[in-house]
Amino acid sequence: MPEKISDRTIFSLSEVTRSIQKTLSERYTRTFWVKAEMNRLNRYPQSGHCYPDLVEKLEGKIVAEIRSTIWKDDFQRINDNFLKVLHEPLKSGINILFCAKISYNPVHGLSLSIVDIDPSYSLGELEKEKQLTIEKIRQEGIFNANKSLKPELLLKRIAIISVDTSKGYSDFRAVLDGNEWGYQFFHMLFPSLLQGEHAVESILGQLDRIRKVICHFDAVAIIRGGGGDVGLTCYNHYELSRAVALFPIPVITGIGHSTNETVAEMIAYKNAITPTELADYLIQRFHNFSVPLGKAQEFIIERFSSRMREEKLRVLNAVRYFKSVTIANLAAGRSHIQHELSALAQQTDYLVKRRRHDHALILSGLQKNNQMLILRCSQHVSQTAYELKKEVISFLKAGSISLGAIEKNVDLVDPKNVLNRGYSITLVNGRVLKSAGDTVEGTILKTILADGEIISVTTTINKTDQP
Amino acid sequence: MKEKPNYTEAFEELQEIVSEIERGDISVDELSDKVKRAAVLIKICKNKLAATEGDVIAILKELESNDTPG
Repeated sequence: MPEKISDRTIFSLSEVTRSIQKTLSERYTRTFWVKAEMNRLNRYPQSGHCYPDLVEKLEGKIVAEIRSTIWKDDFQRINDNFLKVLHEPLKSGINILFCAKISYNPVHGLSLSIVDIDPSYSLGELEKEKQLTIEKIRQEGIFNANKSLKPELLLKRIAIISVDTSKGYSDFRAVLDGNEWGYQFFHMLFPSLLQGEHAVESILGQLDRIRKVICHFDAVAIIRGGGGDVGLTCYNHYELSRAVALFPIPVITGIGHSTNETVAEMIAYKNAITPTELADYLIQRFHNFSVPLGKAQEFIIERFSSRMREEKLRVLNAVRYFKSVTIANLAAGRSHIQHELSALAQQTDYLVKRRRHDHALILSGLQKNNQMLILRCSQHVSQTAYELKKEVISFLKAGSISLGAIEKNVDLVDPKNVLNRGYSITLVNGRVLKSAGDTVEGTILKTILADGEIISVTTTINKTDQP
Repeated sequence: MKEKPNYTEAFEELQEIVSEIERGDISVDELSDKVKRAAVLIKICKNKLAATEGDVIAILKELESNDTPG
């Protein structure tokens, strides 16, 4: 019972909730059909019960949201119907038409207790919006625009669109920065709302900011995590999807949910279910570069050393071959020389012997000849000597005869003998006077006689006419 | 052959060298030079994996100067 304290009636919480429960159960007595989007099924595998999040949206914005329950047995039946009609199980992210009763629990609050779902009312508004967006993007021909970018081999400079406090963001960073291979990433946060009605404009705003400094980045990562699956409709938004498709560098997404892929995720260069998985993808790209690099290095080292070994062996073999050939050639040459040498010696010996023999012959001949020659010469010499002697004697004999005659003649002409016979010699001035013409009157004459001299002066000159 | 190739070029050139070696197109005379070049390229690539790039402060400054209304 409520207390009364100074004019105020004060209820306990349970009194209030009981009252609500009573009012609601009296007001809503029967089940009714409702259409809503079931953003998330929230099925608990252990209990088998489901607690779907139900929403209603107007122009993309959520205008109503309520929790609901589907008990295990109901879920089994409904799910079987879905499989039968849609060939798909009951899942999150679809629009449903369901039969429910309003239920209120003082502890768990207000919810709709779903007893049946009409599977024919299949595709929800979310799906319709999504399909519409996809349709428009496809018509513009940009559905694969971001996917077909040819980015750097390594996406290492990442602009992150996320929330500082998001678990996804910290998971993402932890994987990137804590990688055990020492890969260095550069990342920078561009904070943004990631779900709800303002997420689209917030994300678009950050994409614009990134565009201004795009030269510093290799990729944009949209990271979300830790939130529920509700509020992801923004990623099916046309403007956002278009911006992602047309972004000049790869947009990669790790939005972290278990519902159907959103359009933005479909269009993104790469979508990973969780931020961690996205970070792993980036690291994998490094591996894709690093592993072949390491292999190339090993390969080059291996080939280089094996090639060098081969070459060394080749050179070694060539050297060996050269050596053996050389040695063989030398040996052959040496034996040839030896052979020539002995032939030469033999030849020389033979020649020397022959010459010696010849010489001996010549010498003996020479000796014989010499003796004969000497004999002949000596005979000749003695003959000559004899004749010489004869000649000399006869010459001397003849000489002495003529000498006697000459002696006589010499005596005849000797002036002394002449003077003795009465002849004289007249001198003028010491010279023999031969002509009367060589004197004049008065010339002093010296006349030599056999027994003395007479000095006289010329008085008369009578010339005789003689030739 | 650029002196300072970026890592994509370096990687491609490296793979070219590898396939040349694989095909046995390289003579022993060239081999040493090619291996030296490959070592340079590997270094460039490895550096790229481990290099720290980007400067948040510089980027923020650029953003501020771009954020002027208009």
